[in-house]
Amino acid sequence: MPNRNGTAAIGKAVDGTVLLSMQDVSKFFGSIQVLDTISFDVRAGEVHALCGENGAGKSTLMKILTGAFPVSSGRILLNGQEMRFVHPVEARAAGIGIIHQELSLLPHRTVAENILLGREPSRGGLVDRRRMVTEARDALARLGSAIPPEAPVASLSIAEQQVVEIAKAIATHARLLVFDEPTAPLDTVESAKLFRVIAELRSSGVGIVYISHRMREVFEIADRITVLKDGCGMGTFDAADATPDKVIRLMVGRPVSALFPPRSATTPGEALLTILGGGNAALHDIDLTLYAGQILGVAGLEGSGKTALARALVGDQRFTTGQITFRDGRPAPRSPREAVQRGIAYLSDDRKAEGLGLRQSLRDNASLALRALAAGLALPSIANRNPGRIDALFRDVEMRAADFGVAVGRLSGGNQQKVVFARWLATAPHLWVVAEPTRGIDVGAKATIYALLRRYADAGGAVVMVSSDLTEIIGASDRILVMSGGRILVELPAGSAESEIMAHAVHGPGQVAELVA
Amino acid sequence: MSGITLSTRRFRPQGLLPAALIVGAALTYAVVSLATAQSAQLSWAGIAGLLQRMVALGITACGQTLVLLVGSIDLSVANLISVSAVIAAHVMNGRPDAIALGIAAAIAIGVIVGLANGLIVSKLKVSPLIATLGIGLVLQGVLSAAYDDLPGSVPASFRVLAYGHVLGIPLALLLLAAVVALAGFVLSRTVIGFRLYGVGGDARTARLAGIRTDRFVIGAHIAASVTAAVSGLYLASWLGAGTPWVGRDGGYDLDSVAVVVIGGTLLSGGRGGVAGTIAGVFVFATIDAVFNMLQIDPFLGQILRGLIVISSVAAYTFRGKAHVA
Repeated sequence: MPNRNGTAAIGKAVDGTVLLSMQDVSKFFGSIQVLDTISFDVRAGEVHALCGENGAGKSTLMKILTGAFPVSSGRILLNGQEMRFVHPVEARAAGIGIIHQELSLLPHRTVAENILLGREPSRGGLVDRRRMVTEARDALARLGSAIPPEAPVASLSIAEQQVVEIAKAIATHARLLVFDEPTAPLDTVESAKLFRVIAELRSSGVGIVYISHRMREVFEIADRITVLKDGCGMGTFDAADATPDKVIRLMVGRPVSALFPPRSATTPGEALLTILGGGNAALHDIDLTLYAGQILGVAGLEGSGKTALARALVGDQRFTTGQITFRDGRPAPRSPREAVQRGIAYLSDDRKAEGLGLRQSLRDNASLALRALAAGLALPSIANRNPGRIDALFRDVEMRAADFGVAVGRLSGGNQQKVVFARWLATAPHLWVVAEPTRGIDVGAKATIYALLRRYADAGGAVVMVSSDLTEIIGASDRILVMSGGRILVELPAGSAESEIMAHAVHGPGQVAELVA
Repeated sequence: MSGITLSTRRFRPQGLLPAALIVGAALTYAVVSLATAQSAQLSWAGIAGLLQRMVALGITACGQTLVLLVGSIDLSVANLISVSAVIAAHVMNGRPDAIALGIAAAIAIGVIVGLANGLIVSKLKVSPLIATLGIGLVLQGVLSAAYDDLPGSVPASFRVLAYGHVLGIPLALLLLAAVVALAGFVLSRTVIGFRLYGVGGDARTARLAGIRTDRFVIGAHIAASVTAAVSGLYLASWLGAGTPWVGRDGGYDLDSVAVVVIGGTLLSGGRGGVAGTIAGVFVFATIDAVFNMLQIDPFLGQILRGLIVISSVAAYTFRGKAHVA
């Protein structure tokens, strides 16, 4: 007996000790309580997933942990010592790192210069470049990565940049790492690589907080799961004892199957658009027919051409070859403006850069498409004169913001996306081209957006939904296209298996049979 | 593998255009001087003369490079050059024993103006464009109010700076070389330089890495103002007196920004360096010299400068995009 205990103690000497313990943490902004006596702990060598809808308090809790906000009440113990961070720099110095969704690397500097920024190895003020490269290489090697330390960051893929960001954190000897939706910009293959890196970190005794909306990931890598809802802790479970349905129920109060509206039983309507041999620099031999009343899901890895297809449909990067015919006999739009005029709506996958003017109000953003269509000499306030019309659109998309005059940048991702929907709704489009419609959006808002898409399809519109999220491709689509290398590989029926889609996306058509088998 | 990555480091895309500009400018200069039978321009004296045209703008542009790299800009340099020249001439007032005092006064003014610029930009968070434009106006206003005419002259011994030679090389060129070498060394070898790129590349990232970003912004502004003050000293030595419009008439504010961006430094900061800047200065000096030789209206040279600025920045942007894609 003592022997077994002894072995366990050695084997688990690091793993299992509580690294961080947040006890009864509350946070008030003015008189509004956003966190209510939350307790949360992270052990060395575990991945602890933090789940909750946007607004549940995850980011606030993490901002407190990383020193961006002070706590209102409660204690934070790191290795048993109480910490009161007043600045993120202090939290970093204490060994707490955070990998934000938006990476914070210097694109024009090298990997090594980024990893060791602020802590350059030096002698008498002169940088010791050789040691810098060695230290960077060591940090990357700990993650199982062979990214050359002398490469400029701008030459790396997003996934590689993320690894550099992680290396930067562990090079400061971070004992606790927070990942804030790290897979949002990654495709499935890259995500799998990231999970290997996280597993590597876990086995080296780092404690990991993993924030994600994607249940599949959470259950793939988490040891424990804590759910937050409306600023309250809903419980902490061993991942082995929980199910995705249980977690989602705790997050939103409804099961996952309710996320997607039922498909319409009706047969597809008339062909709205036919493409024969469409192509441009990024697309080849696209043969495609869109039917009214259908949601077409387009799956593929990053760089598969699925986003290029969306851009081509709305005339942003237009087709240069092929025969494109719309229902009314006209060819493809040659510019986004023409697309807007012809009732084609486009939701970009980069909501912040291409979807919204973040500093402008909800109303201004929502009336943008209307203004674009207004006569050149019309007064710019023409849409504002009738705020009732815009506000009706907001109600239509179940916008929950209290004040439609505030800047869009202050809304949650879900509400931001609803603003984009409201904008296009104003132009009564018959073709919706939506790219990553629920990226970075909480579960509740996701359900609303799927319901909206289904409603537009049922009303006789056609929807093209480009997405990296296979759950939504499978759950929301009537037909599924899988793309790779700028070509359509295969069309699959609604409800196809995830493994089948992935097999096509990763390996191309030839090898699928054996893989699926 | 390390060989490959090393070479990507040495031949960053923005490194090629400055080299091409220097070669192109030098060839044009040579061809024009031969074609117009002014081969004296190709003698050592002629070339030294060409290079000496670079001194005032080059020194100022080194400071401007630091400011742009850190993500700021300094539009007060032209008027500060005037102030420095005038103060130096005023203090020296023809007395050789006051040379040191005059130099010290000019440099001190530079430090004060730089500190003011830096504090306004970093602490009051005023847009650097507005802050330094405002300080520049203040400086010119003070000059106009204080001096109606030439406020004195520099002693003959001070004019050695502009006209003296060491081993056949103009002293002023050595001064420029020293400033360039110092700035280049700081940027590429020292901890300060590495962090300066960090601050300019992304101030938030730098702050989270524990870098006190404000100090770098203030430091870069002081460096820029001191280089402007040194340029003012050089011009006072060159002209023999300090005139209250020498900086403004030289167009050193916008020209110094122009040559920096021609050299591949990003206006938004975080990328670039003094080597490119010197290429830009060389191109501007050559344009002047060539138009002189051809006896063409110098305003046409101005047009050419403008086109070169636009096309080189367009080239960098284009390369940048192609690189990302």
